[in-house]
Amino acid sequence: MDTHIRKVYVPMTETGFYILLCLQQPMHGYGIVQKVKELTDGTILLSPGTMYGSLSKMEKDRLIALIREEEKRKIYQITDLGREVLALEKERIIRLYRNMEEV
Amino acid sequence: MMKKRVMVRFFTIPEYEREGLFLQEQHRQGWKLVSVYLPGIYLFEACEPEEVVYQLDFNEEGRKELHSYVQIFRDCGWEYLFSYMGYSYFRKPMKAMQQQESIFCDDASRLDMMRRVFKSRMIPLVVLFALVILPQTFLQASQRDGSLHSFFFYSYVVLFVFYLYIFVRFFLHYRKLSRS
Repeated sequence: MDTHIRKVYVPMTETGFYILLCLQQPMHGYGIVQKVKELTDGTILLSPGTMYGSLSKMEKDRLIALIREEEKRKIYQITDLGREVLALEKERIIRLYRNMEEV
Repeated sequence: MMKKRVMVRFFTIPEYEREGLFLQEQHRQGWKLVSVYLPGIYLFEACEPEEVVYQLDFNEEGRKELHSYVQIFRDCGWEYLFSYMGYSYFRKPMKAMQQQESIFCDDASRLDMMRRVFKSRMIPLVVLFALVILPQTFLQASQRDGSLHSFFFYSYVVLFVFYLYIFVRFFLHYRKLSRS
């Protein structure tokens, strides 16, 4: 993992985290919006401008890959690099949680 | 025939949020946006007064693949109007929202948009400013004798001030976002 990826994605935004989390399954942008709404009981509503921008940025950085297009909706899936980044983020969140419980 | 009206209002490059609020205010008064002709010239059509949120995105990649770009906004309930000068115009009625909604949900993506605006719209201005406006202002200042020179001098001063105003606004907006 190069320094650019580390600098931009570790730690990552909540939007970035949910995108990678959801894209462990192939999904399109709006699918992610719906999934996150469901996961967070409607607390987190991702917006289309943020979603479109994040997906194209992550695709360019090869964290996710376009696999096909269905009815004008681009379907993406996480790449190996994306999984690495997600694993780092997961570690960070676990550490945060543990520290919060301890202190 | 639908009643129409034209309004002239200028917004500088970094003022896309104010532009959205202006369009929202017109819709509240019963005038919905139809198109933008030239920079600053808006065409409206009479409609039922309603609270409708207007927002602008700036995404050149999106405009290149307009179908999939617009689709995700449509899926989220935003109507795509048109793109003008790099900006894409969207609107969504307040009654279709459960909470205050925006096309961006975090500051990171708002900053990304500003960076895209900066790259495509501000950099050409900076170049023009550095290569033409700035040297010409000083050149005309040093040769200010005849009335023609005065005319050029004052024109360049006006441009100089206007450009500085745009840069400062852009900078302040960017700083505000990156600090929050």
